[in-house]
Amino acid sequence: MPGDLSRLLNALGLILVDAVLALAFVDQLWFRDLPCPLCILQRAGFIAAGFGLALNMIFGPRPSHYGMTILGAATGAAISIRQILLHIVPGSGSYGNDILGLHLYTWAFIAFALMIIGSALLLLDDRQFARTEPWSSNLNVLPLTAFMVFVVLAVGNVISTLLICGGSLCPDAPTGYLVP
Amino acid sequence: MMSLPFLLFACGLGAAWLRQRGAAMGFWVAGLVVLLVLFRVHMSDVLNIAL
Repeated sequence: MPGDLSRLLNALGLILVDAVLALAFVDQLWFRDLPCPLCILQRAGFIAAGFGLALNMIFGPRPSHYGMTILGAATGAAISIRQILLHIVPGSGSYGNDILGLHLYTWAFIAFALMIIGSALLLLDDRQFARTEPWSSNLNVLPLTAFMVFVVLAVGNVISTLLICGGSLCPDAPTGYLVP
Repeated sequence: MMSLPFLLFACGLGAAWLRQRGAAMGFWVAGLVVLLVLFRVHMSDVLNIAL
């Protein structure tokens, strides 16, 4: 796989991460479904995982960047599994709205698992790491858009989390913003 | 405190944009460590899985 194709695939992956984070904001702002503490940590897991994809686009593909994606996704998956287990017994309730019959934390686990599998598949091709000439510092429209949206969503989560939780830990079931 | 991982990741993305790879990876490691600590703090509830 040529390095340019690898860069394109990483950009497409980062766009999918952007879409997940944006959908979480839609659920929060449009449907007024405030995120629980574990939900917020899963968002951070998506950013930790997408970080490696972003570095692949900027600095070129490297195994360490894929490792960052896998570690971030594994952390996010552990958090989402924990939340699934909290509600696994029938009658123990759930948190938030469901989409197509599954709650967001279940979808999050599926997405994290797909990110781990996708990164492992991309790691199988050594040709992307064999490039000797330096990478162009100019990003094309698609990678640049994916990166910029990712930065905006990361900063948006800083602001959103501050508004919900303030400077300390979040309430288990937030009912409103600390700063209206 | 809960916004700290996001802040560290955002700083890392800024460092990456400025082509500071080492700093970017440092911010990412710090963000992941904080994320794991916060996860540990929030997983203290007992699981209701007794049958």
